Amino acid sequence: MDFPRILSGNWETPDSHRLTVARSRGVYSRLPKALGMAPADITAVVKDSGLRGRGGAGFPTGMKWTFVPALEKRKGKPVYLLCNADESEPGTFKDRYCLWLDPHLLIEGMIIAARALDVRVGYIYIRGEFRYIARRLDEALAEAYTAGLLGKNILGSGTDFDLYVHVGAGAYICGEETALISSLEGEKGQPKLKPPFPAVEGAWRAPTIVNNVETLAVVPWIIENGAAAYKAIGTEKSPGTKLFSVSGHVRKPGVYEIPLGLPMTTLINEYAGGLLPGRKLKAVIPGGSSVPVMTPAEVELCSMDYESIQTNAGSYLGSGGMIVMDDTTDLVAALTNLLRFYAHESCGQCTPCREGCGWMYQILCRVRDGDATAADLVTLRDLADNIHSKTICFFGASAAMPVQSFLTKFRSEFLDRVQGRGAGAA
Amino acid sequence: MPKVKVNDVELEVPAGTNMIEAAKLAGVEIPHYCYHPHLSVAGNCRMCMCETDTPRGPMLEIACNMQARDGLVIRTETDNVKAVRKSVMEFLLVNHPLDCPICDQSGECRLQDYYMDHGKYDSRGNEAKVGKHKRQDIGEHIMLDAERCVQCSRCVRFGDEITHTGDLALMNRGDHTEIGMFPGMRLEHDYQGNLADICPVGALTSKDFRFQRRVWYLRETASVCTGCATGCNIQVCHQEGEVFRYTPRRNDDVNQSWMCDPGRDRHVAIGSLSRVLRATVDGAPSADAIPELARRIRAAGAGRVGFVLGTQASLEANWAMLQLVRANCPDAKVFWVAGADADAIAKSDTFLMDADKNANTAGVKLLAEWAGNVGDAAALRAADLALLVVLEDDVVSRVGEVLAPALAYLGTQHNPTTAAAAIVVPVAHVVEMDATYLNRQGRVQRARRATNPLGEAVPAYQALDALGAALGRAPGTRMPVATFLAMARVIPRLAGLDYRGLGTNGKLIAPATPAAAEAK
Repeated sequence: MDFPRILSGNWETPDSHRLTVARSRGVYSRLPKALGMAPADITAVVKDSGLRGRGGAGFPTGMKWTFVPALEKRKGKPVYLLCNADESEPGTFKDRYCLWLDPHLLIEGMIIAARALDVRVGYIYIRGEFRYIARRLDEALAEAYTAGLLGKNILGSGTDFDLYVHVGAGAYICGEETALISSLEGEKGQPKLKPPFPAVEGAWRAPTIVNNVETLAVVPWIIENGAAAYKAIGTEKSPGTKLFSVSGHVRKPGVYEIPLGLPMTTLINEYAGGLLPGRKLKAVIPGGSSVPVMTPAEVELCSMDYESIQTNAGSYLGSGGMIVMDDTTDLVAALTNLLRFYAHESCGQCTPCREGCGWMYQILCRVRDGDATAADLVTLRDLADNIHSKTICFFGASAAMPVQSFLTKFRSEFLDRVQGRGAGAA
Repeated sequence: MPKVKVNDVELEVPAGTNMIEAAKLAGVEIPHYCYHPHLSVAGNCRMCMCETDTPRGPMLEIACNMQARDGLVIRTETDNVKAVRKSVMEFLLVNHPLDCPICDQSGECRLQDYYMDHGKYDSRGNEAKVGKHKRQDIGEHIMLDAERCVQCSRCVRFGDEITHTGDLALMNRGDHTEIGMFPGMRLEHDYQGNLADICPVGALTSKDFRFQRRVWYLRETASVCTGCATGCNIQVCHQEGEVFRYTPRRNDDVNQSWMCDPGRDRHVAIGSLSRVLRATVDGAPSADAIPELARRIRAAGAGRVGFVLGTQASLEANWAMLQLVRANCPDAKVFWVAGADADAIAKSDTFLMDADKNANTAGVKLLAEWAGNVGDAAALRAADLALLVVLEDDVVSRVGEVLAPALAYLGTQHNPTTAAAAIVVPVAHVVEMDATYLNRQGRVQRARRATNPLGEAVPAYQALDALGAALGRAPGTRMPVATFLAMARVIPRLAGLDYRGLGTNGKLIAPATPAAAEAK
């Protein structure tokens, strides 16, 4: 299949993170054009391209940008642009490649977005575990400043933009945009009530746009080639290419850039090399650990776009973190492992999520260890239902959906375990 | 004003009203932990979830963060809402120690109340509970038990938004989240007691009240604090004649929901050793103190008797003193002593703690202006007196000298003035009588009788009525309701007021002069 590698095109080039190499590969070549465009025109092109946020929710990026109030309405307040590089969703490891191998592409995208949104100051919020990447980002920023690509009067265009790297302390919840803002402000990383939405009142109570690394890195290509060219890739409602992180029981785990709409089996069997010899597919988590799990039958039906996965499997494309599990997997142990993560990462703010995640984890430990009854499974399901959508942010649902889907789609594995007839892989 | 609908009740509410308050106006209670009318909205307890109509159909949303807007509909009693409340109760209690039998919050605990109203499930908690730090002494007035906490963050917001001390925080994450002090910090402000009040559960309890009395034995009487000129509205909590605590009573125009710790501590004085319980004449107990005082007033001769109005005493008592003088010895001199002393200024702030530690300075000023010819502290010092009758004012301390060859004192507490006084008449404490006070804003507020006067005390206006009777003409101030009406009839700034009209929140009186009115 023929498609442009918009995000990963420079990854194989040696020293691709260096400014000179990046420039030789065309990075920053879109800046003169973008800086010559009216801000509203940049937003219009992004909106027309149909680009959807790559952090997980898939919200139309151009539409989000239009939510920033006009200058007179925001009473002189600045607008902040935050790049969400807190990639923490289990199974997702695409942004770290973008940041490590092509940091200048992200910076170029952020300069263009800053031009579109009248932003003078931006931050790349990067998770604490990525300290080594943060150092590389700092080097890239220094190169860009020296070359006049950041700071005052970028390339003589009159546009000013300062960009900083802010390292988080390593909390999953800080990938949630309002928690990210709390953390950036110096507060405990906890989500805030919406409304107000960040685009209206975000960091330091000023309008703030939070975009994922991958989302921002696509923007230069769209400016160069136009909205129509981007829409020509992928499907009508899910245009463009996307990075997928494939892990688990496949022969070639890794990050793959593919056009949206590619059959899921093609991604697993061709790009990721298929399963190990003699193994059979048991389950796939398509979009990061938070989304509902899929059965092999559902995998056959789905293609890699937002609509297909939702329609055919009741799951989500999410962040594109695909976890493939073959028939050697103990799904009870897998779910227990996931809930250990959510119990540890719940910020502790809302009652259902705070108390419920730990409770679900404890029940699952007993199920895994053969110390539970069928009634415990009923409780487990109830708890998940009582957490889902009862909290300030989406974390509650993220912890509940794996439980709900595992219990529904792989019910017999759990029943076997409480009846003491399990495969006993734990 | 936007028109909203709560269940079947349609009503108009001020724009921006949140739906917990709007429902209250509609007579519907929405259960909640984290929401507090005088703190910012946190939205974390999830107990106030109600059903509302959205473009995507009926949805559950938290009422505390829903602002009233035209056409907004909420339903508070649907099956979905009831199920959510039940599940929130289940989550809140799964790691709670359930130690109600030894918890001081029992009886006024939202976990208990809401469990009975909205919970009542069969326990499914088979897991080990998360242990947290217990019995933490975090300040002079407060103990913290983190296991009982529901992480509503009211106390954290109180520290951030009311005292601006930022001393409490939520530590850790998930079900290990617990309230705590920043390392090395203690509560250092004078509003600690409010933390125990706003804590909806037994996590923050008052050291003063811990283990003293089960709250269901206590009766509450609406009153005002007489610790300073602010006049915070309070509840007097008492059982069988004994007062166990003061708690703030909401009055958005005076003290919101708060009061200071020194004010809270004042109940200790009611039955303390310093309380004046017996009438004495020349140091010996006497059943005839008032007739004896009347005899000495006559003996001194009207021109050499002085009376000191009391800025600690009620409007009624001061009125009684003025009327007594007018009826029986119009030539006697009347004084009042204004102002705060240096210690009091040190214990004051720009919030509730006024430098003037007298509850009724404004009231005495009002009466003095009306009566005319009332002297100040300098006039008192200069006056040539044989006998000085003092109403609830420690003038010896405040003026710094004994002032007259003989003193008579009507008051509640022993102090340098009682020590110097030849005749001491015990009077009722503010919780022991009905009376009114005029605070620094010019708001007349009622104190209500909660307990019976201790010892031989009677309300000061009754003692003065008896003194007037002994002198020949009683001022007719035995009954406080009638006394207030008598004042309101003749003092223009009190015109039209009566006890019932003062209500629970008091009434602002007219400014002193038209000029003052314009300045406002």
